[in-house]
Amino acid sequence: MNRRRLLQTLAASPALLPAQQINPSPDENAVLQLASPDAAGQPVRRFFTPVQFATLAALAERIAPSIGGRPGAKEAEAAGFLDFLLASSPRSRQSLYQRGLDTLDRAARAKHQKGFAELAGADADALLAPLKTKWTYAMPADPQAAFLRAAKADIIRATTNSRAVADANAAGRRRATGLNPYWHVID
Amino acid sequence: MANFDHDVVIIGSGASGGMAAYVLAQAGVKCLLLEAGPAVDFTRHRTLKAVYDLPYRGFGEPGRFPHITQASEFDANLWIDEKKNPYTHPENDPYYWVRIRLVGGKTLRWGRASWRLSDYEFKCKDHDGWGENWPISLADLAPFYDRVEPLIRVAGRNEGWAQMPDGKLLADESIDSLSIQRFNASAKKLGVPTTKPRRATGTLASSVNLLLPVAQATGNLTIVPNAIVRELGVDPKTGLVNAVHYVDRRSKREYSVPAKVLLLGASTLESTRLLLNSKSRQYPAGLANASGVLGRYLFDQFYVKNTVTAIVPEARGGKGPRNLMGGAGYVPRFTNLKPGKPEKNYLRGWAWDFGSGGTPSPELFPQWGEELAKTMADVQGAGFGMTTMGESLPRFEHRITIHPTLKDEWGIPAPHIEQRYTENEHNMAKDAMETGIALCEGAGFEVLSAHSQMVPPGESIHELGTCRMGADPKKSVLNGYNQAHDVRNLFVLDGSAFPSGGVQNPTLTIMALTMRACEYLLEQKKQGRI
Repeated sequence: MNRRRLLQTLAASPALLPAQQINPSPDENAVLQLASPDAAGQPVRRFFTPVQFATLAALAERIAPSIGGRPGAKEAEAAGFLDFLLASSPRSRQSLYQRGLDTLDRAARAKHQKGFAELAGADADALLAPLKTKWTYAMPADPQAAFLRAAKADIIRATTNSRAVADANAAGRRRATGLNPYWHVID
Repeated sequence: MANFDHDVVIIGSGASGGMAAYVLAQAGVKCLLLEAGPAVDFTRHRTLKAVYDLPYRGFGEPGRFPHITQASEFDANLWIDEKKNPYTHPENDPYYWVRIRLVGGKTLRWGRASWRLSDYEFKCKDHDGWGENWPISLADLAPFYDRVEPLIRVAGRNEGWAQMPDGKLLADESIDSLSIQRFNASAKKLGVPTTKPRRATGTLASSVNLLLPVAQATGNLTIVPNAIVRELGVDPKTGLVNAVHYVDRRSKREYSVPAKVLLLGASTLESTRLLLNSKSRQYPAGLANASGVLGRYLFDQFYVKNTVTAIVPEARGGKGPRNLMGGAGYVPRFTNLKPGKPEKNYLRGWAWDFGSGGTPSPELFPQWGEELAKTMADVQGAGFGMTTMGESLPRFEHRITIHPTLKDEWGIPAPHIEQRYTENEHNMAKDAMETGIALCEGAGFEVLSAHSQMVPPGESIHELGTCRMGADPKKSVLNGYNQAHDVRNLFVLDGSAFPSGGVQNPTLTIMALTMRACEYLLEQKKQGRI
């Protein structure tokens, strides 16, 4: 992001005053404006290979595209977040993703002689056909269908719960989303 | 300086421990309450956060809670640390043990549904020949239900049904939404009863705001948080409980405190674990276990979440009238109510919670991209869903034992838990699904998904049994007043005392049983029997 995020943060901050005009308060409870880690730096990828990551990013854009100016998976940096999440996920979940992304890319190369990330929309969608299977409580027996179902849910959630979507909602004067009581460690 | 000036020791501060303190402290009994967890400070420990500000965007830390599906990233710190508090189950029979260790226990997070048990449960063996009757009947417990319901401010609607007895309720006279009315009419055509939900009300309906402050205001209650009880000591001459040995959660320092009377309300499986871990010369198989049934007959209520998810067609695109969607309802058990041979291919029955106005999960639609986005906009707020709660049968082989080697963070032997659902529960779940489809279709709803897959045993957080009450000391651990047959100064007050459970959420009954047991204790003390 992070130029846009930085500009948003600055815009939301009180006007900066020259240092000599600030009167330090003797009160301990001074409130400082703080920014989150991803407002300052670019997250470092640590799980997927470059090809897997490109495949995931392209898949995420097919699943949750930006529509009518509202942020999609790309603006929400869903693929980058999932790289972070998968890095610490159980081994079975990691394998599901790795095998699923590899299978998707192999299928693209076999049919179109180029990677999934380079496919046009209709060609990419054709490879997502297992998602058209009617929902069942049990995960599909076909590993690729199981991967696509898991990835679809994760991509949508990573997008919906992102800062980008929250900002867009706030700008559109929709009700604030995702705000909940958070419990700190109780000791 | 330690103060041993107490008449009773209470273990646990939730529905049963909190109620014991509430009754006894007001009667002038000096109570020492030991709680394994810390106390919550709602001002200091809770704050509002946006989901995007959480480290895992609401997904939660991967692998932190293998069994607690209820834990979210927002409230993860309320639930027990499964690594510090391990347990085992058979490899192919998962058991989801869901725990909270805080002052107030699980009453900090309970669903508040508050239904009375009926004589279909108390006298279940008389009705269909299976299992064991309770040593009490509804008539014995009704006066206590009458007092607990106003205390926790239960709202609902009395219907005069034998299987769902009326209560002392705040009358819910709200008008149902049109979709709920349609569902109710469809149910009526098929002879299925429906009613309003019946729930405790108020911002918080917990031991920490309704019970413990009242008890403490008497000056008769001392609460010690972070006191993890390891073992109960027994007087070798009398065979009575005479001491409680506990560990400070934070320092791991060991303590002992004398006990004249012990009231155990640590939650179903923790209470039984403690009794099994309290072995002595008199009780080599665990305290109060002369019958050999301590730990056995574990059961719960099985849940099928989102048994049926449907769309109310007129609500698509937000086009319906304002009173079309919203609200909730309940279907009580209605099968096998006639005595004798069951009318279905299972014993007992099931119930539903149903609700109108949600948005179905995008997972349910075989779409993605713009097509899915259009669908989600179309069905926003148009959903209708129902969850099944079914009675599971207590079986001798379903049990908690102590693991031979595994210990928790404090060196206390951990439990091994065995429970699985059988054909009876599976048949019930299938019937609930098929009936749910019929009712939704009868109401003109579009059925989007339906299934009969139960969550693993334990996940409903309605674990019951393992220290059951009964009239026969050879087949039960407690008498009808929650008092151990073998150890007359020991009372076990939580869900472990249940011989059967019906479909009703158990907290209200746990509170009523505790109130009754404590008043019995006061009477026994007055007569010099304890």
